[in-house]
Amino acid sequence: MISAGNDIISLNAINITRTKQEKFYSKILSPTEKELYNQAEFTTIPFENFVWLLWSIKESAYKYLKRNNSGLIFIPIKFTVKQLFIPHGYALTNFEATQLEGTGFDNIPAFEGIITTGDDALYSRSLMYTELIVSVVNSDENFENTHWGLKLIGKVDPEYQSTAVREFLIERLQGFLRLDGLVISKSSGGIPVVLKGNSKLRVAVSLSHHEQLIAYSFR
Amino acid sequence: MTRTEILNELKKVFAPYTTNKEMLAGINDQTDLIKDLKINSANLVDIIIDAEAKYDIEIDYDSADKIINVGTCIDVIMEKLNQNK
Repeated sequence: MISAGNDIISLNAINITRTKQEKFYSKILSPTEKELYNQAEFTTIPFENFVWLLWSIKESAYKYLKRNNSGLIFIPIKFTVKQLFIPHGYALTNFEATQLEGTGFDNIPAFEGIITTGDDALYSRSLMYTELIVSVVNSDENFENTHWGLKLIGKVDPEYQSTAVREFLIERLQGFLRLDGLVISKSSGGIPVVLKGNSKLRVAVSLSHHEQLIAYSFR
Repeated sequence: MTRTEILNELKKVFAPYTTNKEMLAGINDQTDLIKDLKINSANLVDIIIDAEAKYDIEIDYDSADKIINVGTCIDVIMEKLNQNK
């Protein structure tokens, strides 16, 4: 199954007080997932970041699976992060760039996870900076064919976010595929698809935006 | 409490999470929270918690499963209010 799933969270936009309240985080984390935070390495990141890290992994997995299961509904607690590894020697730093793009995660310190829902198991990679969390999931542990990008934009208007993330993805896709005139559309089920004229290309893409951040992934 | 009363109160619940004020003013049962009101999925838990507090109800995972549009949101709130009677 070729699919794609990603998510981006603006940590400047989250409600820290609310995130730390059990009534809030218990709708996202199961008790066993909360235990993951008690691993010694995780105490280097704030609990609210941990909650939104798991949210972003779960939403990415939801998007990945929804491509082939249009009736799937996103209930975070029904997705379980079974394993989560923090990058060796990880320290939370500022996102110093205005955009970042890559293929795979071999050359960048990424959180590595395994997430399950029902009979499905997926692998995740996430980046966390002071300002943001971005996650990408895959059905294969090897991310070498998974391309991703994130970018800071100037406005938070939903229409602008939607246009900006499509332009960002198309620029990368056109260079990668050596094609021009690509268009991002949506299937009747709301899944993003790449069109060249009237033809749908065999590339799976995922789009995400939150406040002044946009992100894509594709394979 | 009628469906119309709940719908009008839901406008206040949704207001902090949507910039589409014109669409919010005219919501009906078919209005989709994400597609129409452009509510970011990261705020859906906020909406469930705000609704729980407003109506003194608890929306469990299976019920949250049903919340897709305004109509199903009202269905869940009415179901929980009836359970509290």
